[in-house]
Amino acid sequence: MITGLERLMAAIKGEACDRVPVFCNLLDQGAKELGISLEEYYSNGEYVAEAQLKMREKYGHDNVWSLFYVGKEAELLGCKRILFAKDGPPNVEDFVIKSCDDIHKLEIPDDLSAHPAFEEGLKCLRILREEVGGKYPICAYATASMSLPALLMGMDKWMELLFMGPPAECSELLAKCHDFFVKEMFAYRKAGVDVLVYSNPFGSTDIVPRKYFMEHSLPWIEKDIKAVGTQGIVYYCGMAKFNPVIDIVLERTGIGVYYLSPFDDIRKGKETIAGRGLTCGVINDIELIDWSKEEIRHEVKRMMDAGMPGGKFLFGTGVMPYCIPEQNIRTMLEAAYEFGSYEMKMERLHD
Amino acid sequence: MNMAQLITTYNEAVYDTDRDKAIKVIRDAVNNRVSPEEIIFQVIIPAIEQTINHIREDEELSLAQHFMTAQIASDVIEEMLARFETAPKVMGRVVIGTSYGDLHALGKRIVTGCLRARLIEVTDLGVNVSPERFVDEAVAHNAEVIGISSMMIHTARGENGCLKVRQILKERGLDHIKLVVGGAPYRFNPELYKIVQADGWARDGITASRVIADLIAEVKK
Ligand code: B12
Repeated sequence: MITGLERLMAAIKGEACDRVPVFCNLLDQGAKELGISLEEYYSNGEYVAEAQLKMREKYGHDNVWSLFYVGKEAELLGCKRILFAKDGPPNVEDFVIKSCDDIHKLEIPDDLSAHPAFEEGLKCLRILREEVGGKYPICAYATASMSLPALLMGMDKWMELLFMGPPAECSELLAKCHDFFVKEMFAYRKAGVDVLVYSNPFGSTDIVPRKYFMEHSLPWIEKDIKAVGTQGIVYYCGMAKFNPVIDIVLERTGIGVYYLSPFDDIRKGKETIAGRGLTCGVINDIELIDWSKEEIRHEVKRMMDAGMPGGKFLFGTGVMPYCIPEQNIRTMLEAAYEFGSYEMKMERLHD
Repeated sequence: MNMAQLITTYNEAVYDTDRDKAIKVIRDAVNNRVSPEEIIFQVIIPAIEQTINHIREDEELSLAQHFMTAQIASDVIEEMLARFETAPKVMGRVVIGTSYGDLHALGKRIVTGCLRARLIEVTDLGVNVSPERFVDEAVAHNAEVIGISSMMIHTARGENGCLKVRQILKERGLDHIKLVVGGAPYRFNPELYKIVQADGWARDGITASRVIADLIAEVKK
């Protein structure tokens, strides 16, 4: 039987395989799977690992996650309060940085692996590695230097600091976030993670104008990637668009995998990447909540038709909202396995 | 510099996210005897209108540009209002907040800035606002419009979001108050505002100011 990791590696290398690799990012759904509250679910790495394995078996997609929720990174940096919901992702409730002084006081722990907030994540990773290591890619998530401050002080205060200063504090915070990012990446690699999602909304032209991207975002992206290398790295802007900057990012950093926005044109993305990397087409999983069976199949087919020619293509979702009906998840995945089959495509060609 | 040039230079600085330059353009104009009234009605508001048309016809602006538009315009307005001899007429009243369970303040802040720049009075209810409070505050402030911002799916369409506000408005016979929504989930699904029973939505802060101004005009008719 072909494994998810084999599919992913074939897609990266542009080699033949049975079908397009399919990444289905189910996080909060794990709690539903185990029949417990989200708060209880995320309190224990064993629960998360168990549900990740269970959901992968049940739906047959190609990846598993060690990510609990993004706010975990803030916890590693001192956040003490997380707001749990009964029907959606947990959120940072208390900002670590409330004043310029807090920026000076912010300390980046030397050894993240020893941090209590990292412990459950490591527990989860260990189980995933034992159970599916080498068979299904284990994914982790790290926020880029330039976007991490949004978690520590709120997006609005971060925009204010970034665009209106004071510049000294802004640079100091960026440098600290870079330090954290590098340590986090190495800790994940050490724990055996295969895929490292480099999340950076500020690497998107939806968030900052191109000129600003060139002058400020790109240098920090280069610095981040130079420090950790490109192994396993996926460029991702939190579902915001980035087609217009793929070429320059690829040229400057050598990152080999691009996880587009649903609003990026897949064909255009592939054209720009031009065989130099893996293009990931991403479905609009917010519309997926309400789409009919026909609409889902139509959309998956449209995406596959755009992305499959020439290979080096992956089909993925965003962070799937909790309220997507299970039936719609199944319909999407079945369509992805069907329309993403290279063997079927060959047969259709012969017909 | 004539008014058209003034608008162009000002907007260029805003798009370049260059706050200092934008403010300087305005201050220079004031020093050259352009009146505060003219700055508001012939520069700032037309500049916003021009931006809306630009977004509609051309390409969208980035978030940073919306942020700066709101920030600079509301700063300029505040500075100009301080120089008015008599306070200008309020165009309408809005209460705005982030929905229950949601702590994301930026979208609301941008919309608020753009509304203030149009001389619409805005009461900011903060984040994590309960449906009851949205309605109570709208009544207390005599608002024509309630604005609800949500960054996540569960806070946009969940049971303590816009749907509940609509239910309370109905129960209390307050159907004349209009409900407007916005935030990331609505951008991903432009039909979502209907599902949550809102009267309108906007995909960005600057467009929001026109959508809301139109609704206020409708209520006042
Ligand atoms: C930047 C970003 C991040 C950053 C910063 C987040 C923050 N603000 O704190 C980081 C990387 C940290 C992040 C993390 C998360 N994110 Co995020 N993020 C984004 C992104 C790229 C932009 C969101 C943003 O801040 N925009 C800026 C604001 C100002 O824009 P806006 O809210 O859309 O507002 C504009 C308009 O909508 C309108 N508007 C806003 N309000 C109103 C109100 C009215 C009345 C009107 C008329 C108009 C209006 O005007 C505004 C200005 O132009 C979006 C995807 C996207 N492309 O939008 C995802 C997104 C919002 N994130 C999402 C999620 C799920 C998360 C997490 C919960 C993930 C997780 N499981 O942990 C975490 C939460 C972290 C936390 N707070 O604890 C989802 C939400 C959908 C969902 N599934 O529920 C999105 C949509 C991505 C996706 N499609 O999966 N994120």
